[in-house]
Amino acid sequence: MKLDIVHDLQSVYRKIVDASARPGQLSELTKEACIVKEEGNHECPASILLLALTLFDQEVTFKVISEKEAAITKIINQLTYAKPVETEDADYILILQDAGVGTLATAIEKAKPGTLKNPHSSATIIVEVSKMSNEPMLQLKGPGIHTVEFVHVETTEKWVESRQMKNKEYPLGIELMFVDHQDQLLSLPRTTQITENRVIV
Amino acid sequence: MNTAYNFAFFDEGSKREIRRATLKAIAIPGYQVPFASREMPIGRGWGTGGLQLTLSLIGKDDVLKVIDQGSDDSVNAVNIKKLVFDTTGVETTDETREATLIQSRHRIPEVSLSKDQILILQVPIPEPLRYYEPSESETKKFHAEKEYSGAWLMLFEQIMKYGSMTTGADHPVLVHDRYVMAPSPIPRFDNPKMDESEALILLGAGREKKVYAVPPYTKVVSLDFEDFPFEPESFEDKECRLCGSTGVFLDELVDEATDETVYQCNDTSYCLEKLNAVGVK
Repeated sequence: MKLDIVHDLQSVYRKIVDASARPGQLSELTKEACIVKEEGNHECPASILLLALTLFDQEVTFKVISEKEAAITKIINQLTYAKPVETEDADYILILQDAGVGTLATAIEKAKPGTLKNPHSSATIIVEVSKMSNEPMLQLKGPGIHTVEFVHVETTEKWVESRQMKNKEYPLGIELMFVDHQDQLLSLPRTTQITENRVIV
Repeated sequence: MNTAYNFAFFDEGSKREIRRATLKAIAIPGYQVPFASREMPIGRGWGTGGLQLTLSLIGKDDVLKVIDQGSDDSVNAVNIKKLVFDTTGVETTDETREATLIQSRHRIPEVSLSKDQILILQVPIPEPLRYYEPSESETKKFHAEKEYSGAWLMLFEQIMKYGSMTTGADHPVLVHDRYVMAPSPIPRFDNPKMDESEALILLGAGREKKVYAVPPYTKVVSLDFEDFPFEPESFEDKECRLCGSTGVFLDELVDEATDETVYQCNDTSYCLEKLNAVGVK
């Protein structure tokens, strides 16, 4: 089956809207990701490619951080015409799991946070992780969340503190999206407040 | 369905641009994100912003409801519904509960919305500070600096002149304690429905090229003063002449035969539902 750029990407977009409007809710991209996997392009994780196909075009700049940066940048550029740039200038920063330790924190630090007049001209960072669930590891609060939500993002990266630093001067800040190997999507807009659940002994 | 056009009228590039703006709008509640509003086959100021949001969101499985001032059957609503149906073939409905996308002009439905629904409001003037500051770059600066004394001053002047706040519709609100936002010309009666809403609310201004959003469960407070609290329109002691509903937004009409003032539900689908449930009086 071939990916339908009209209907399949509309469905992906609605899932991104749902995930962003309700942070902590994991959206399933499985159906569309399966089609992408069948089509090939195995260098780039299917769910990341799906997000790129949904949101990128010639007006967008992006940066891939991965061991396979060159190959993936080429695929995305060829499929969407989006322009590859450095992290500081990128509208979207894609961080794959094979990027070195500490990459996410550095990318968060470097990413553009927008300006007070134009807070929307800020970066969205899309990160590949191995697994996500609603286990009570990170507590989420903020717009889109009724009382609290919980998520567990399985990654060795230390990102919660860097994100907090980056987003402390609201409305400036960055958006984070995580995708995992089960093609689940988690979106954390700048308004979401995260508390790490520490066990008190 | 008219197959001469792409699904949902727009080309995919236009949809992507609106989609990117919408996602930023959701991330910054109440902030007006500029977007490259496209030329639409309806006049500017007739709901092009709402229509563009609807077209960028809609998929084959959606059920669409369009209302204009509470009515499903007025010209604006009917024509927007026809255009979307013609280019998508999606199911349309009058029933608020059945709809997944609700595009509305000047009302939030009486039936409370659920988490599976998205409310899209058409906005003529998205800038709540425009009344006293004509320059866009100045109002952008005010928003950046959270300089909203003018918004309060505007209400204060109304109180000084008329003894109360006289915003009939579009009473400004403060979203997530940060941005003052125009809730679109909904009556004050509907402002509280935005606060901690279960459904995502998207607002689109086509002529002014702005989209903004109120995510679910977001604090929305109508601007007021301690000694002059915000008051929605009151319909105490009044009921709908058709279905007998109370506590809903009523239209005031004059019965020309008897010269009497009568009241009727503004939300026609709500009124019809009540009538169907109890039988016509």
